[in-house]
Amino acid sequence: MPNPARRFRAICSRFAGLLHMDHGNDDFTAELESHVAMDVDDGIRTGLAPDEARRQALIRLGGLEQTRQTFRERRSLPWVEILIRDVRYGLRGLAKNPGFTTVAVLTLALGIGVTSTIFAVADAALLRSWPAAEPERLVRIVANTPQGPDDLFSYPESQDLAAQGKSLEGVLAYSRHSAILHTASESRQLVDEVVSPNYFSLLGTDPKLGPRFLAAAKNHERIVVISNAVWQRFFGADPRLVGKQISLTGRSFTVIGIAPPGFRGLMPFVPVELWLPLTTWGGENDRGSRDFELLGRLRPGVTAAEARAEIDTIGRRMAQDYPALNRGRTVSIVSERQRLREAAAPTLLMMIAVGMVLLICCANVAGLILARSDGRRKEIAMRLALGATRARLIRQLLTESVLLAAGSAALGLLLAVFLFRLQPALMPPSKVALGLDLHLDATLILFTTVSSMLAVLIFGLSPALQATRVDYVAALKRGETGADRSRRRVTLRNALVVVEIALAATLLTASGLVLRSLLASRRIDLGFDRQRDFVFFDMEPNLVAGYTPARTAAFFDEVETRTAALPGVKHAGLAQRVLLSETEGAVSKRVSIPGVQLPQDQPTIPVKFNAVDGNYFQAMGTRILEGRAFAITDSGTALKVAVISRNMANRFWPGGSALGRQIVVDGTACIVVGVAEDAKINGPREDPEPYLYLPFAQWPSNHASLIVDGGADSRALIAAERIVFQSADHNVPYEVRTIGYLMRQSFWSDQTLVGFVGTLGMLAIFLGAIGLYGVIAFIVNRRTREIGIRMAFGAERRNIVQLMLRQGLALAGIGACVGLVASLLTTRFLASVLYGVKPTDPLSFAASAIFVVLVALAACWIPARRAASVDPMQALRVE
Amino acid sequence: MAEKADVWQGTLALMVLRTLETMGPQHGYGLARRIEQTSDQLLALNYGTLYPALLRLEQEGFIRSRWGSSDNNRRAKFYELTEAGHRQGKKAIAEWEQATEILARFLRPAAEA
Repeated sequence: MPNPARRFRAICSRFAGLLHMDHGNDDFTAELESHVAMDVDDGIRTGLAPDEARRQALIRLGGLEQTRQTFRERRSLPWVEILIRDVRYGLRGLAKNPGFTTVAVLTLALGIGVTSTIFAVADAALLRSWPAAEPERLVRIVANTPQGPDDLFSYPESQDLAAQGKSLEGVLAYSRHSAILHTASESRQLVDEVVSPNYFSLLGTDPKLGPRFLAAAKNHERIVVISNAVWQRFFGADPRLVGKQISLTGRSFTVIGIAPPGFRGLMPFVPVELWLPLTTWGGENDRGSRDFELLGRLRPGVTAAEARAEIDTIGRRMAQDYPALNRGRTVSIVSERQRLREAAAPTLLMMIAVGMVLLICCANVAGLILARSDGRRKEIAMRLALGATRARLIRQLLTESVLLAAGSAALGLLLAVFLFRLQPALMPPSKVALGLDLHLDATLILFTTVSSMLAVLIFGLSPALQATRVDYVAALKRGETGADRSRRRVTLRNALVVVEIALAATLLTASGLVLRSLLASRRIDLGFDRQRDFVFFDMEPNLVAGYTPARTAAFFDEVETRTAALPGVKHAGLAQRVLLSETEGAVSKRVSIPGVQLPQDQPTIPVKFNAVDGNYFQAMGTRILEGRAFAITDSGTALKVAVISRNMANRFWPGGSALGRQIVVDGTACIVVGVAEDAKINGPREDPEPYLYLPFAQWPSNHASLIVDGGADSRALIAAERIVFQSADHNVPYEVRTIGYLMRQSFWSDQTLVGFVGTLGMLAIFLGAIGLYGVIAFIVNRRTREIGIRMAFGAERRNIVQLMLRQGLALAGIGACVGLVASLLTTRFLASVLYGVKPTDPLSFAASAIFVVLVALAACWIPARRAASVDPMQALRVE
Repeated sequence: MAEKADVWQGTLALMVLRTLETMGPQHGYGLARRIEQTSDQLLALNYGTLYPALLRLEQEGFIRSRWGSSDNNRRAKFYELTEAGHRQGKKAIAEWEQATEILARFLRPAAEA
């Protein structure tokens, strides 16, 4: 009667049978009793003695217990029943031993969490979420010149390639820039891509968006596509936004579409927020302005080799047609997917590294389980003796491991999600949002599940096999077996623990070094007062139409005056650029000095400079060592003056005073009126170099930074400043940076290094401690009897603790020594990133060694205490 | 006495359905006796095997059970056909008749030869 619906009903009923197991069994016992009673009644009626009647009734039934057994098997699902029993048994076992469970779950969760995080990073870096159709057909068009590879093309070149390349369906061009989005309340800098009209249609991002963008761009309409994230964050996901105008960098554009969620442009690390057609941007007809990266799409069925040959031919033709631009320049293609895969190679290496970490975690947990199952040896031997099969016991022990792994996987995923949240804090500080698109998705859950189940095989199977391989007669008699067989295994585990501790010692030494280096570089005199609560407003009137030099100067003047009058503002100054900005500080002027011989007989040397107003030095707290700062009298029409850095003064006028001397800056003669202390220009660790301050009024700039020291409450200052800007001219975009941001940016790489190496070090020492704990706990269990005998012969608890600690410390000591030697050999590779500390810094080495030994002591202390609490009578009576 | 035949796979359920159809509600022991009698003692029926079969029929919804009291006043669990059980009985009988007829056609020539 194979009726699926009926069968389903039966299975449901059997699952229900699982729930009220006991009731059903009682019911059936009653039914069987009545059955037998009726049969006995009939037997007696035919003249049998009651005993004989009962005997025959039972024979006819086929046995009470057998019947009950077959009934039970039919009543519910036996394998589920066993599974539930195993799970209950496992949970009970884990709950009974919370210390073991916590440590094992934490260890595994760490391993799984880290592995899953790196997997997500690798997955995202390989552009998992590329919403491009058939990405395997996308190729990057690259050029090679005698000077080296060059991947930029001009738009006319891209059109030539598209028109002549028969193997390509099309070629798209894109170029990354930034634009300022003005909303009612703020102006924000966003990353944009200026792209060819066919960008979306060739990528196949969205079937509707592609053609719409293509048509509008070809009509030279001023349009923009915004990212889903921008749509949500700045426009509250307003469904009526499409068709409306938004203001970008002072011009208005019509939004013609929202990019699909998750579409972040063509580079994994820099999410693009806006897409503008190059037809409205200008410059698209200039063959010489190579601003664009090109992607082509192979026609279906065309191989990369065929396309490469054709593109090569087109490249040669270009070199002939435009020798001035293209001589010696060859063109080729690479598979975009291949390129991304190669670019993601470091993350794959990291994948291998964290895979090793997971393996070490598994080995440690296997050690813990082994130490524990040793204590259950008698229970297991007893059950084997009572007839349990080995497979049954292995299944039961593995169920416990699966439970551990499941808990750890869940915790590991939580850890991964937590680490994803940390990403923005780990990225270098930047005006635009950087980072990968990391989130919990089905792929990640699948990966975590599979990796944790593989982990079960590694950490669970071997202890389960070993624990059930018991000569149970001997085990029951003596309580121990197989000591010789496992001796080799112990040696292997000891070696593993030594390696773990050595690794931890090395990493901790490196952590100490980079930490000392960070602390040292934090003490560097930056050449301004870093204790002040600076806020910098980077103003860009140059982006707004109609700002003549005069109007720009008036705008800066108005903003500075109003700001200085704000309550709480102690200082306000103006400068073309802010110190310690990695990208902004490098601009220089050509300087010559009458009467001074310049190096290598050069007529001029480049000197980095800043144009500042009279309040600058006081606002920044940069000391004037000689002469004076600029004054209101140093106006555009007055005598040209300059302030130079101490390094510049010492270099060109050693022993004498630089005041009153003449220097020629970009052909303009200036008089040195002051010498300022050396300040850090691009980064805190740089050596002092010549630096030049010029009066802002004499060297005006169309953009500038307002420097404000407004006391501790920078948020209030920023709010007040917004009103200042709105009343001065709300169209002028400005960015806000705080001194905190600047410091984070300056020390980001040092801090990240400390965080990274330190985290690895802590992870390593944690794993080492767990490994050591497992080994010592195992030894303590093995030697319970010996300890009992020792104590019976008068050994004190103290002696036992010492005995056990000595074993652990021996391992830890060897590990620490190996680690320190390894550090001596490897820390010199850190020399280039260290500041103010030698790679052989004894303090870091000693601190690392002491820390390792202390942690090792703590890890051994717990099992050693347990060893000492052995009751000698009980330990011996067990025999 | 002729050698007793084992109960063929799957036929026990049909016997139960058929017996309940003709006798009305019946307890397990009664069913077992009745099936044995109907087969003229030719069937070797282990009474115990009846119960998993009954359970299965109940799980599939063809019969239902309730406690009642027997002819000689013993508490016993009585089984009766459900609506689906009646239908299933008819269907199974038709299928079985067809199967035996087909099989008979195969066997007949061999018997004649």
